[in-house]
Amino acid sequence: MPKSMRFAFLSLGAAALLLVVGCSNSPSDDELRKLQELQAQVKQLDEQVTAQQKENAALEKQNAEKNGRLQQCQTDQEAVRKATGGK
Amino acid sequence: MTSRTLALILLLISLLTAVASGQDKMTRDQWQSAMTAATAKVADLQAQLTKLQGDKTALTAQSAKLDADLRACEDALYALLGVNRAEADAFVKELADIEKRVDELQKMGDAELLSHRDELERIQLRLKELSGNKMALIPRFGDKIRSLQEKVAAMLQGLSTEKTYTVGSWSRTHDCLWNIARKKDIYDNAWLWPKIWQANRDKIRDPDVIKPKWVLKVPEKKDLTKEEKAAANRYYRKKAAAPSGE
Repeated sequence: MPKSMRFAFLSLGAAALLLVVGCSNSPSDDELRKLQELQAQVKQLDEQVTAQQKENAALEKQNAEKNGRLQQCQTDQEAVRKATGGK
Repeated sequence: MTSRTLALILLLISLLTAVASGQDKMTRDQWQSAMTAATAKVADLQAQLTKLQGDKTALTAQSAKLDADLRACEDALYALLGVNRAEADAFVKELADIEKRVDELQKMGDAELLSHRDELERIQLRLKELSGNKMALIPRFGDKIRSLQEKVAAMLQGLSTEKTYTVGSWSRTHDCLWNIARKKDIYDNAWLWPKIWQANRDKIRDPDVIKPKWVLKVPEKKDLTKEEKAAANRYYRKKAAAPSGE
C-alpha cells in the first residue's frame, strides 16, 4: 500500500472516531422525548395556573362587592332602627 | 494533485463534518440541566396550582356565607320597615328607572325639554309619593329621592322662567320668526329663529306660518343646539328645492 493511501485511511479512521465520540456525548432519542414531554407538561401547568389565578381574582372581586353590600345593609338597618325609634 | 494532498483534503472535510454534526445536537450535560430545570418548574407549578385550588374552595365558601348573611340582613331590614322583598325590589327598580330618565331629561336642550314638561311634572309627583314610602326611611334611598326632586324642580323652574312673545299682525308688526328673533329684547340675532320654532313645535307646523295672538315660548339665548341646527337645515334645503314662487 502506498504511503499516501495509508495516510488517507488513517485520516478517515480519525474522523470516524471523532464522529463516534461526538455522538455518544448526545442524549438518546428516548431521553430527548422525555425532555419534550416534561416541557409540554410545564406549558400545560402554566396555563392551568394562569386560568386559576384569573378565576380566583374574579371570585375575590365578587366577594368584595358582596361584602360592601352587606356592610351597606347593616348601616341601613342601624339607620332605620334610629329612625323608627329603635323598634 | 498528489494523493497526499487528496488525503489531507479528505481529512479536513471529515473533521469539519464531525465538528458540525456535534454542534447542532444537545450535549448530555445540556440535556441534564434542561431536565433538572423542567422538573423543578413542574414541581413549582403543581404546588402553585394546589394552593390556588385551595384558595378557590375557601373563596367559594366565603361567597356562599356572604350570600346567606346578606339575605338575612335584608330580611331583617325589610321586617323592620314592614315591607316584603317583592315590594322592596319594585321600589328599588322604580327609583333606578326614574334616576335614569331624569339623567336623560337633563341632557336635553331647552326646546326639547319643553315638550317633556308633563312628564317632568308626573315624575315630580311620583317622587313625592315615593318619599312617603317606608323604603325611603333607608337613608341612601331617601337621599336619592331628595336629590332627584331637586333636579326635577330645577328643570321645571328653568322652564317656567322662560320668556314668551305674543305674535302681532303682519300688517302692524311684521312678525315672522326671523323678525321676532332679531328683536333687541328677544335674541337680537335673527339667525336664532329656529330656537323659537323648535320650542313651539306644538303650534308651529310650518315656520313660515305664525298667527297673530299666538303666545310663543322664547327659550334662553344660547347657540343653536344640534337638533335646532338640523331642523333649520332641513327647512333651508326644503326651501331651496321648492319651485320659485312657493
